[in-house]
Amino acid sequence: MNGRKIGRAFRDAGGHLRRGKPRHAVSFAVLVLSFLMAGLFLSLSNNLRSRARILSRDVAVVVYLSPSATAAERRTIEDRVRLSPLVASVRTVTPEEAGDRFLKEFPDLRDVLENLGRNPLPASIEAILRDPAGPDAPIDRMIDGLRRLPGVEDIQFNRRWSDRVRALGRLSDAVGVVVGGLLILMSIAVVSGAVRLNILSRHEEISILHLVGATNGYIRGPFLLEGLILGVAGGTVAAGLVLLAARLFPLYLGHSLGALQDLIGFEPLSLLQAAGLVAGGGLAGLLGSLAALGRVFRS
Amino acid sequence: MIEFSHVWKQYHKPDWALSDVSFAVAAGEMVFITGPSGSGKSTILRLMTRECPPTDGRILIEGMDIRRIPSAKIYVLRRTMGVVFQDFRLLAERRVFDNVAVPLRVLGLPSKDVKRKVFLALRMVGLHHRIWNTPAGLSYGEQQRVAIARAVVNNPRLLLADEPTGNLDPDLASEIIALFREINRQGTTVVICTHDREIVRKFAGRVLALREGRMRERGTAP
Repeated sequence: MNGRKIGRAFRDAGGHLRRGKPRHAVSFAVLVLSFLMAGLFLSLSNNLRSRARILSRDVAVVVYLSPSATAAERRTIEDRVRLSPLVASVRTVTPEEAGDRFLKEFPDLRDVLENLGRNPLPASIEAILRDPAGPDAPIDRMIDGLRRLPGVEDIQFNRRWSDRVRALGRLSDAVGVVVGGLLILMSIAVVSGAVRLNILSRHEEISILHLVGATNGYIRGPFLLEGLILGVAGGTVAAGLVLLAARLFPLYLGHSLGALQDLIGFEPLSLLQAAGLVAGGGLAGLLGSLAALGRVFRS
Repeated sequence: MIEFSHVWKQYHKPDWALSDVSFAVAAGEMVFITGPSGSGKSTILRLMTRECPPTDGRILIEGMDIRRIPSAKIYVLRRTMGVVFQDFRLLAERRVFDNVAVPLRVLGLPSKDVKRKVFLALRMVGLHHRIWNTPAGLSYGEQQRVAIARAVVNNPRLLLADEPTGNLDPDLASEIIALFREINRQGTTVVICTHDREIVRKFAGRVLALREGRMRERGTAP
């Protein structure tokens, strides 16, 4: 196909879109809605994933030492932790450091701590994991081993939160795929219907084109482009609206969510994700056109 | 140019639209195919343009056995011919220029060539002054002339016309047939299907008469 024919196909597709405005307005709205929903869930997942990443940075196995633990027992515990292949680094926290950290995080509770007359916080050894998102089993085995050592009072593994947030991200992905997918299927059907009506309304022109020796590509090209243009435009507008939601949500609605603000928020899509929305829109439009052409020309 | 050899066509059982029809049209001839409505005239044209295949028999157009042309290549056959219909089949919302330009745009000709050829075709049918009108602003006779201009704009070797005077009064009908005669004189083979025997009588040309799908008589109009 030479440049002139491509130009002609685009001009014809533009003409189809102008003439079928009401039909295409509906298709366009459905396309935008579908890809907006998919984009919003993607943006929500982005936010949850980045929250999970932040939480993961603090993931550690914390070994609380008994106040009666001897120096030798402490050294054994510390050596055991340090030698584990799962551990990236080890930090020892004295009761005084634990007290300072407590007061920094909960300054309102200074009175409570002072009224006790002594520091109740135990010394601890914090093992920062090499892979915070690694499988549970080896970490559990390490914890079980440490728990049996003399001088160990308690062990905590604070990965539960990041796991939950990550699971929420996966849930958001799944909901996005299901809801967005269903809406995208619906938008393909709507585009197909609009293009089909356009083809039928141009039946006379198509029959003339066949009789004067137009190739199938010449006749079908503009109808394919019609769906493609609609889809790309729908995907682009949806990507723009997701960006707008990510910008405006924290300003207008985010504060009303209080503590949940960090979790329920929209993070701007990456360039690749935005391009994916636009390409997805184009693909949906193209599939809609192909379905319409298949149905009409088969019959 | 055209050869029908024992051609049979059936749309729906048990009726035959054409039964054992054979004839030949030489290059440069002007031929009338006559007969009452339902006699099979339009079927012959539809077979020539490969809008439908014959049920049996062989049809050669310029040596091409049209049954053997794959669907994707039918456009090659159709580019060798122009077709005119009783109902003109013009695109109502397009201007005369755009209607006549359709076959040239399909070929992907440059805009300059399209303009020149469209103007020449419209001048030949005497409508170059109506180039920017829409069909709705033209009389029936003028609309048929536009349809003829569209059919001949890319100089086809074969011009087919299906009841081209069916919607016209006798004077306009004579003018249109005279136009076909002029096109034929310039070397184009012309096949006109018509039920109007008066028109056929007025113009010299070979006549093939059809009745109930069978070729009944072959002769030459005076």
